[in-house]
Amino acid sequence: MVVTFQLNGEDCSFHGDPMTPLVDILRRERFLTGTKAVCREGFCGACTVHVDDEAVPSCLKPIGLVQGCAVTTIEGLSSGNQALHPLQANLEAADAVQCGMCCPGIVMSLSAFVRDNPHASRPEIKAAMVGNICRCTGYERIVDAVADCLDQARKAGQSVGGLHV
Amino acid sequence: MSELSATVMNLPRRDAQDKLRGRTKYTNDRVRPDMLHAVLLRSTVSAGRIRKLDLSAALRCPGVRAVATGADAPGLYGIGIADHPLLAIDTIRYHGEPIAVVAAETEKQARAALAAIVLEIEPLAPVSTMAEALQPAARLVHEGWRGYEVITEGGARAGNIAWEAKSSRGDVDAAFARPDIRIVESSFTVGRQSHVPFEPRVAIGSWEDGRAHIQTSTQVPWTVRNVTGRVMQLAPGRVRVTVPPVGGGFGLKFDASIEPITALLARMTGRTVVLENTRQEEMATCLCRENAEIRIRSAVTAEGYIAGREAVVLMDCGAYGGEQVFLTTMTAHTLGGNYRVGATRLVSRAVYTNTPPNGAFRACNGVYNTFALERHTDEICDALGFDPMEFRKKNVLGDGDLGATGQVFEADVLGPMLDRMETLRASTGTSEAKADSRLYGIATTVGTWFVFVGPSAATVNLNADGSATLVTSGVEIGSGTMVQSLPQIVAGQLGLAPDQVIVREADTDAAGLDVGVGGGRTTVSIGAASIAACAEVREKLLRTAGEMLQTRPEDLVLRDGRVEITGRPGSGMSIPAVVAHAQATTGPITGSGAFAARNTPAMSGCAMGHFIDALDIPVFVVHEAEVAVDPDTGHVEVLAYRVVQDVGRALNPRAILGQIQGGVVQGLGYALHEEVTLTADGRIAQDDFETYRLPLAQDVVPVAADLYEGAPSMGPLGTKGAGEVPILAVGAAIGCAVARAIGKPVRQLPLTPPRVLRLLHEREPPPEFPHVAPGWALNTLG
Ligand code: FES
Ligand code: FES
Repeated sequence: MVVTFQLNGEDCSFHGDPMTPLVDILRRERFLTGTKAVCREGFCGACTVHVDDEAVPSCLKPIGLVQGCAVTTIEGLSSGNQALHPLQANLEAADAVQCGMCCPGIVMSLSAFVRDNPHASRPEIKAAMVGNICRCTGYERIVDAVADCLDQARKAGQSVGGLHV
Repeated sequence: MSELSATVMNLPRRDAQDKLRGRTKYTNDRVRPDMLHAVLLRSTVSAGRIRKLDLSAALRCPGVRAVATGADAPGLYGIGIADHPLLAIDTIRYHGEPIAVVAAETEKQARAALAAIVLEIEPLAPVSTMAEALQPAARLVHEGWRGYEVITEGGARAGNIAWEAKSSRGDVDAAFARPDIRIVESSFTVGRQSHVPFEPRVAIGSWEDGRAHIQTSTQVPWTVRNVTGRVMQLAPGRVRVTVPPVGGGFGLKFDASIEPITALLARMTGRTVVLENTRQEEMATCLCRENAEIRIRSAVTAEGYIAGREAVVLMDCGAYGGEQVFLTTMTAHTLGGNYRVGATRLVSRAVYTNTPPNGAFRACNGVYNTFALERHTDEICDALGFDPMEFRKKNVLGDGDLGATGQVFEADVLGPMLDRMETLRASTGTSEAKADSRLYGIATTVGTWFVFVGPSAATVNLNADGSATLVTSGVEIGSGTMVQSLPQIVAGQLGLAPDQVIVREADTDAAGLDVGVGGGRTTVSIGAASIAACAEVREKLLRTAGEMLQTRPEDLVLRDGRVEITGRPGSGMSIPAVVAHAQATTGPITGSGAFAARNTPAMSGCAMGHFIDALDIPVFVVHEAEVAVDPDTGHVEVLAYRVVQDVGRALNPRAILGQIQGGVVQGLGYALHEEVTLTADGRIAQDDFETYRLPLAQDVVPVAADLYEGAPSMGPLGTKGAGEVPILAVGAAIGCAVARAIGKPVRQLPLTPPRVLRLLHEREPPPEFPHVAPGWALNTLG
């Protein structure tokens, strides 16, 4: 079966088993290894990508279901020399990175969250992170970064990352 | 001290942007289409004998390029004792043990071929627990234990006791016989903890110019090199190990495991081979923090003096000795730490069982021994009517006090740290109000850990553009040492900015020996080696500049990328100019440095079977937890958490605070809900993220931390390792706080809601160890 979709803004097609998880296509065929396959069961969020602007775990997404969709991976969020997404910039500023394996998934999950929830409180941010596990940092700095990101956007009178997704 | 002011800073991580953009290539991101994929045939029984292993059908499967078994790499490896084959040879000792490996063009083909291997195992009754293993008539997990090569001499061994370490100081019998003491005895039991690094163990092996080259996600490139040499019966120098950024380690990657298999298959096929544990394999064969059983007795006077103490600690090493053999050493320093004790004797035994082997995990051994010691201390206070904080203040180790092996501790550290905790609490306030109608508990606990020093080497090359390249075998596992403290140290020594220091990824062909990243040692050991290398660089640089400036080298300083005449900022010349001159005249400027442990003495005759008799660099912590326990559900909420940590000198305070937050949260998981159990057939029951309950954002609180500086340290610039110790006293603080909240003794971790409910309703049986003899000496091999 042939599946056609957009990948980081370019047309893309896949020939093969439509049940193949999207994460495997990204990593093994497209070498977009920023998307991490950590648990492969939908618990950790490390494999999160945007499918038509929604954050979804790519390990649970059969490629057949992205037919006609626009897929954005971490590599497409701020590509080349583009500035970091504001959430990435805040995560960097908060020193929230350790081993870094969870980071792309956190960025993809929470970039959609900050776009859609400009007034989220700290407990709401934490609640939004139930699907993102980080084994290294103990989370609080990630939450700080999200809160800072929302703060800056509110002060600037903009929504976060509207331009990017 | 100017080098200090040029070194201490909150340097951001240079690897953060690439990690956030998903550009960092971890080992498991380096799989290419032309690589062969290896998969392992693993045992589905926990004990047995291999009766038949027929590979012929597998070898005929499409895409298969090689199939290997233990016979292809027969050397045994281990720490202390060489008891571990790469792939099972004749005997199966645990569920999940690798028996054979297939390399094929695709993973699918490799799995298909795996199914074609004919394997017959005659099952044996497994030795499932330490209690079973210590029965006099127990089957031996290693029938041939006597014949194993002993790599490190000194430990007593017998049958299922893989290793025994003892410490004994003073007349303990006399202390317990004193008329003026009361005896308090406590027993504790703890389960395993799984590391769950986000990148599993993975290796890519190739065979290049007659040598193995392994790229791997490891903390110990030199161990991988040496173990690969051992099992393949090659000179270790024929193995090269390089290490890309590592996606988390926490101690799991402190031993070689699957790496040599890739080298073996690469040699057989001439191809590059990748082997990556699936998440299920990773968790089912995790070299966990070991389950342990602890019995501790103390003789305490009415005035609160601890006249005598003795303990028996049983550590389950699983099917192979591994790290536990080494870690028996730590009991003397963890359970034997914290307090001034009159006479003391401790024994710890690593016990073989037919369960997946255990390994090293952040503050190994210390985490549960600190839990046991601190809960025991609270039980002493309960029994004798002491205030727990006053008792601790009175008895914590101070200047001139003796440790369990007779080591003399320097300076008062824990005492002032307890005072600092009170100051910290005063500044944050307490959170009792948040408990509402739930049961509230608060506890302050102490812990003793160390920096695992040991050999390191460093080379510094000074380049003509003014940058310096630091070449070591250090690995960036996430803690930031390679991207923060080491470039800060080198920059401070050479008058450069940290971004002018290039840090080379570990490559055993390029850098000298190093015992690896773990035990909080990188900043100390590699840092010290780097400073020594910088000293040579400085000396050459100043000598050359002295000639150029017609000034004595003693009158020159390195500052802001220049060689200046002391006291005359802006004088002299730029470092690149001096380097260029040196390159044209005496040759490029390089320096090398080395570091080794100081081997602080113990009292003679006090330590038996120890790998470390005394701590070169002790590290102390004070942890305080506030909890609320829901009496209806048994759920424990952590309301607040505070840490005072002995850091020696904080080179990058912000990075240390990040390590404290992360380490405490791993400890909260251990204390409250990370539970590993074994099934009746010897399998680890929690082998995925659904069954193993990791801390989530909603489980955690921001840790309030105070960095205690100034305690003595032989570390460079007075540093101590800061990344390992934050997990040390979390089980202790939570265990003590919950016990106080519910008014019942807590003797087991993790404190899952069902366990807390059972404790509340007195339906949780206290741990009993019929396999631990009543007399201490009966628990030793004599
Ligand atoms: S890998 Fe997809 S959620 Fe964990
Ligand atoms: S930084 Fe390592 S998992 Fe989050």
